[in-house]
Amino acid sequence: MMDALVTYVQTHGEVIVTAFRIHFVLFLVSMILSTLLGLSMSIFITSEGREKVGQALLTVTGAAQAVPSIAVVALAFLFVGIGAKPAIIALVLYSLVPIVFNATSGILSVPPRVVEAARGLGLTKSQILWKVKIPLAVPVILSGIRSAAAINIGTVTIAAVIGGGGLGDLIYSGLKNQKLELIIVGAGLSAFMAICVDTILGMVEKKITPRGLQVTR
Amino acid sequence: MIEFAKVTKQYGEKKAVDSLDLSLEKGYITMLIGPSGCGKTTTLKMINRLVEPDSGDITINGTSIWDLDPVTHRRAIGYVIQEVGLFPHYSVYDNIALLPRLHQWKEDRIRNRVYELLDLVTLDETYADTYPLQLSGGERQRVGLARALAADPEVLLMDEPFGAIDPINRLVLQESFLEIQEEIRKTIVFVTHDINEAIKLGDRIVVLNQGSLVQHDEVAEILDNPADEFVEELLGHDRNLKALSLKRVRRYLASRDDYTVVSPEDTPEIIMKMLKAKKRRMAYIVDSREIFRGVWVIDRNPRKKTEKLVKVERPVYAETSTSVTEALSRMLEAGEKELPVVRKGRIFAGLVKLGSIFEEVEEARAASEEA
Repeated sequence: MMDALVTYVQTHGEVIVTAFRIHFVLFLVSMILSTLLGLSMSIFITSEGREKVGQALLTVTGAAQAVPSIAVVALAFLFVGIGAKPAIIALVLYSLVPIVFNATSGILSVPPRVVEAARGLGLTKSQILWKVKIPLAVPVILSGIRSAAAINIGTVTIAAVIGGGGLGDLIYSGLKNQKLELIIVGAGLSAFMAICVDTILGMVEKKITPRGLQVTR
Repeated sequence: MIEFAKVTKQYGEKKAVDSLDLSLEKGYITMLIGPSGCGKTTTLKMINRLVEPDSGDITINGTSIWDLDPVTHRRAIGYVIQEVGLFPHYSVYDNIALLPRLHQWKEDRIRNRVYELLDLVTLDETYADTYPLQLSGGERQRVGLARALAADPEVLLMDEPFGAIDPINRLVLQESFLEIQEEIRKTIVFVTHDINEAIKLGDRIVVLNQGSLVQHDEVAEILDNPADEFVEELLGHDRNLKALSLKRVRRYLASRDDYTVVSPEDTPEIIMKMLKAKKRRMAYIVDSREIFRGVWVIDRNPRKKTEKLVKVERPVYAETSTSVTEALSRMLEAGEKELPVVRKGRIFAGLVKLGSIFEEVEEARAASEEA
């Protein structure tokens, strides 16, 4: 078994690196898109007068987290077809859920007293959003992005079934040809990527969480 | 200075404020009081348009609030609320600097202003770099006041600012609030549900009930002549004694000839002689800058029949703004018949005597009985 694994890695180095690269690109592109889209959605639905819409969307996204990733991938296939594009669409949609859920609940949980004080002092709506609400919601928003990233990397392997490419290709061909070494390399590298990304995001989270929220008496 | 003309605000069927006419004077603290749901907070929030009136007009210095952009208008008015609403992600410095920054002041001017305000609310410079989550409730309230005063607004709105503070710290905050107001002389509108707080802090009281004005008068006038049973009930049975807590010791200072003042350089022998000559027990030490530095007391030992002069560096004292009732309780606590009085910065202002307070208490009691 070990021998087969070593031989495979030695002979297919280039295939592995390419699969890893494609996997990472699919992850990165879909993450950036879903973060931008998710944050804009959250900001839109949490703005003044739309609190009810926000609450409703929170319920919907909360429930949507229970939808299995394979279902989302299958839907993307049905509507958009095969290739990297439908894969990215499926990934964006699937990572959107934790991002919107966290960002929305983070912004909505900023104490009303603080928002009222900001209004009373004469901050404009956009100043209240960018100087008060978002900085206070940063820890919650980031933990949403972190869990989205972890889910996303795992889902990229599933997106291989609709021709997305990446480490999922190795896993599927390992399954088809009963070659355990391919499955190990595919799954192992995907897990490795997830751990690295999570560690990096963890450091970012520490870095950009305002210091005032990290102190205690 | 602030005029309400036929102002109405309705929430659904309920009229929170019903055709209110009210005129608030410049430089005074006006307390808005009444049972919950009487419209006091709505009235306050309409001044800076956090709540928009349905009809009527509010003018500040003759300018209608409708003619001003709400954001610009709010920046010109200080605003302090219960539990403060400090921004937890900003340091104390950044919280106070917020409005000056929105007004685009130069950074040096902002820095000077922040330290000046910290000093005003009696927090030392080390607080600048701390964060709200590191402060006690009372400290947060002080920072909240400093933040509201940062851009030097003419009007200050305060919505139950001391409501969430424990009773002991509330007393301390109320005292220092009065001292601060003595210095800044802002037009303050202050919402409270606590009649004692209204009496203690207010120059004038506005009593509201079900969205309508019941009485608007000077505090003493309200205590002496409540408009109706509703106000009377609000004031409680001991309103004449309450009136005492309104009077400040500065009105009861003893004549300069009734006590002895010495300088820190005077020797105990000289002081002893001076006291003996006047048959007095205490000499108040005041330095060349008029700062109160302590008391020399003749300590008699009745058994040995000896007398010696003892220096008390930290005696009990009162501020000029201390209420008569408070001064009385300090005297009783210290077991003294007189109490030195200081102005801000411990500048010696004089002396208040138990006798003159007793006369006042007696008058109030007699008045109470008549009523």
